[in-house]
Amino acid sequence: MAVLSETRTTVEVRARRKALSKGALTPYLFLAPALVIYIGFLVYPMLVSLYTSFFEWDGMSATMNFVGLTNYIAIFRDDEVARLAFLNNLFWTLGCLIIPTSIGLILALALNRGLRGTIVFRTIFYAPAVLPLVAVGLIWSWMYNPNFGVINLILKSIGLGRFAGAWLSGFDTAFPSAFATYVWASVGFPMILYLAGLQSISREYYEAARIDGANAWQSFLNVTMPGLRESHVVVLSLAVIGGFKVFDLIYTMTYGGPGRVTQVLGTWMYFQSFQYYHAGYGAALAWLIAVIILVIAVPYIRHMSRD
Amino acid sequence: MKSLIVAMTVLAIGAAPAIAQDKVTLRLATVFDANGQEAWQPVLDDFAKSHPNIEVKMEATAGSGAAVYPDVLRTAMASGDPPDVFFMWGGSQSEPFIKADQVRPIDDDYAKYDWGKKFPQWIVDRLKFDGKSYGVPLHGQGMGFFYRTDIIKDHNLSLPKTYAELESFCETLAKDNIACASTGGKYGWHVMRLVDYFLEGTCGPQVHDDLNHLTASWDQPCVVAAYQRLKDWTDKKWLVPNYLNVDPTDARIPVYQGNAAMIMEGPWFEATLAADQQDESNWDFFLPPTDHAPDRYSAFPEQWMIAKGSKHPDEAATFIDYISTVDVQKAHPEAFQGSPLIGNTPDCSKVPLTCKIVEIVQSDRPAYPPTDQAFVKELMDSYFEVQDGIVAGKISPADGAKLMQQRAEAWKAKQPA
Amino acid sequence: MFTESVTSTRRLHNGLLLAALTILALLWMLPIFAVISTSLRGQGDLLSGGIFSWPKKIYWDNFVKAWAAGDFSIYFKNSLFVILTKVPLGIAIAALAAYPLAKLRFRLNGPIFLFFLIGLAVPVQVALQPLVVMMRQLQISNTLLALMPPYIAFGLPLQILVLRGFFRLVPNELLEAARVDGASEWRIFWQLMLPLSLPALAALAIIDALATWNEFLLALVLISSKDQRTVPLGLMQFQGEHSSQYTLLMAGVVISIIPVLIIFLFLQRYFVTGLTAGAVKG
Repeated sequence: MAVLSETRTTVEVRARRKALSKGALTPYLFLAPALVIYIGFLVYPMLVSLYTSFFEWDGMSATMNFVGLTNYIAIFRDDEVARLAFLNNLFWTLGCLIIPTSIGLILALALNRGLRGTIVFRTIFYAPAVLPLVAVGLIWSWMYNPNFGVINLILKSIGLGRFAGAWLSGFDTAFPSAFATYVWASVGFPMILYLAGLQSISREYYEAARIDGANAWQSFLNVTMPGLRESHVVVLSLAVIGGFKVFDLIYTMTYGGPGRVTQVLGTWMYFQSFQYYHAGYGAALAWLIAVIILVIAVPYIRHMSRD
Repeated sequence: MKSLIVAMTVLAIGAAPAIAQDKVTLRLATVFDANGQEAWQPVLDDFAKSHPNIEVKMEATAGSGAAVYPDVLRTAMASGDPPDVFFMWGGSQSEPFIKADQVRPIDDDYAKYDWGKKFPQWIVDRLKFDGKSYGVPLHGQGMGFFYRTDIIKDHNLSLPKTYAELESFCETLAKDNIACASTGGKYGWHVMRLVDYFLEGTCGPQVHDDLNHLTASWDQPCVVAAYQRLKDWTDKKWLVPNYLNVDPTDARIPVYQGNAAMIMEGPWFEATLAADQQDESNWDFFLPPTDHAPDRYSAFPEQWMIAKGSKHPDEAATFIDYISTVDVQKAHPEAFQGSPLIGNTPDCSKVPLTCKIVEIVQSDRPAYPPTDQAFVKELMDSYFEVQDGIVAGKISPADGAKLMQQRAEAWKAKQPA
Repeated sequence: MFTESVTSTRRLHNGLLLAALTILALLWMLPIFAVISTSLRGQGDLLSGGIFSWPKKIYWDNFVKAWAAGDFSIYFKNSLFVILTKVPLGIAIAALAAYPLAKLRFRLNGPIFLFFLIGLAVPVQVALQPLVVMMRQLQISNTLLALMPPYIAFGLPLQILVLRGFFRLVPNELLEAARVDGASEWRIFWQLMLPLSLPALAALAIIDALATWNEFLLALVLISSKDQRTVPLGLMQFQGEHSSQYTLLMAGVVISIIPVLIIFLFLQRYFVTGLTAGAVKG
């Protein structure tokens, strides 16, 4: 017995040693640079902000007051703007899931057929993403301007003047208007990812489908869509993540107004931490955003990326 | 357990190498844009010539409407790396920095350099906090209506002397489809200038000040009347319509195009007209009548402050004193347009409109602060929310006054005693 | 006969598609036309004559002025340096990490992947202040170097997610065959995975180069001195406290997008030379 168990242990140790020497460390060597930078410059600052979220702090003073969970409780109990912002994020996210993604997919399919001028089209649809935000904000606020904006000018000139609107200045139209700009600016992203995905679908699958008598629609459903699975994971999860993290565009285009109707969690967090000098409360909002995203997006990503 | 950040900040300050050289480098944080930086470079160069042991390096963070600069400044201070001298607006916008103990009180320097005598009393007083001086004036920005003289002439109008006259003035223009004034509601503060003016008119100087100090209730008839004026101006199209999310810098476009007659701005606007290539001979400036005595106008100071964390406060004061002398300011008129320094009167043949405003600002005519220098931003956003709601017709002036009072009380309740 | 009708139907379809794409593309370009026309005119003409009107006179020297004002050439050089170092470095680090997550079996594979995914949820704003403090401690505050670590760190989660996905598409048989031939994991990664994933790498490089080129917030708080600033900060110089130099701003924008457009056009070619070139042509 004793001998036997001893032998087994030796064998195990030997096996482990062998595994170690023969590449058990390999994955970690590959991962090391990423882990070091990621932990140092993303995880650590995030933990600092988690710590901050338990304090009442103006973001500058040498002293911070520990308040426990008060900031988190206040978000849920008292903060009407946060509630509105959350709903706005939900709508924005739903919009992101449906509109830019499907336009991006359609464009990718259309531009993957070897048509003439494909490169020009790709460039044009991706071009808005090239523009710096300051240009996007400025040009679109001019286009939406109720008095001299090109949208109202065109509507009036083709006899549709009654549809000329206040756009960003209207309580009901501001949010959809900002979203329309977002669609314009962001379809290039799913388009590019889908294009890259389409490239990696083997032509043989299409041949096989054709031999089986599949029409274009069937081969789209049975070959293209499954083949784009990894692209879907990225595009859709980024739509959710982008939907809840949206900040730049709202901040630039509407500044949360008119009133507070276009506040989203990202801008509200920024207002709280940087403009109202409630750094602790802002940090709590940031963690709320992170948790929402983690709860919604991560299970999906994990589910979709299983073997 | 102390904060990680604070602990790290202390460490960081301790770790910074001590500068043992004779030459001192001052970091000067400003909001100046490309034009402003260009205008200031000769000032810094001249200073370097007369003060070879002090080097001033400007760190400019431009960007419209106070949107970015305070964030940058705050982050720099929180991480223990403040500039030595920094630009700051007056009143409530500087308050968080003072309260966080990041600004050096400079009463000693005021005494040493006699700054109190160099600037109009109202500005010096406005820059005090809890009785102490923290800043030296750079600008005294008096605001009123810049208007198109050609449009006024075309309609045989003369400048209004009472609010009633202003209303009929607007009425006349509206009949010809010209808006009386243009404004832009994005950020809130451009429309606020009008609301402040209405409040000064309906409530009078004393109550207006009390409202700003939250010692009077906002839920009172004169506030409702002021909101009613905002609603009337909007509904009667005396203001260029649908302005709620128009950027203030775009609000001037309808005036340039002749679709509106005036816009409420300060002394910087003369330079803006030049930069926007407008014919300045078509423009003039007037203060709108409040029907009260004293007949106050809206004005706000901008100032230089010294960071508490500065290692060279004496050199910082030397620099501030240097740029606060008549000789230096006269030698660089572009850099000091709108300066309230007594004795530095601008060249009225070159900048007639600025000249008019500076004369008012340097006089002892009393001024009221724009509300965004009376309220901290958090409360200010409630003010903007009510303002926007009334403009959009989502809330009546009476309910707006009630809501504003509620928000004021809620905000007060949250403040530590 | 049959083939001919199929071809002509296809031709018709392609023609319709082309027409639809052209209309959509023109619509898409409208704001960009406005950027370009604004960059070419005088400020007075723009504001008095109407932003969407035809320019009265073309001012080419807007570009000269924009380039000179606020030392644009410095910002330009800085931004080029940042993308030319950060993008390859960041993607290389991400690819290294994505390979074992996609293709190697080890105990912590799942948890580590999840750990990286969490980074997707982090809003960058909350990291600003701790990062400023860290850079001071590392003695690289206020230099371009200070931008690299956070840029790379915040890019990693997405890049790892994307690359892991594409690496998984490479058939395991190929890897096994290579292993049987005695190739090390490093060689497999370098000579097999990377060449086979060129379209994904190119797409990521484009996305990353753009995000980096236009990044504003981190650069704003991490860099205060003029000679270290990047292009987005440079563009800000045209927006004053009370007024904006629109025409110069837009001239600056046009100048600033040229390098990224070139990168985009250059990297596009990798879309058609990937794993199975021209997959759906037939």
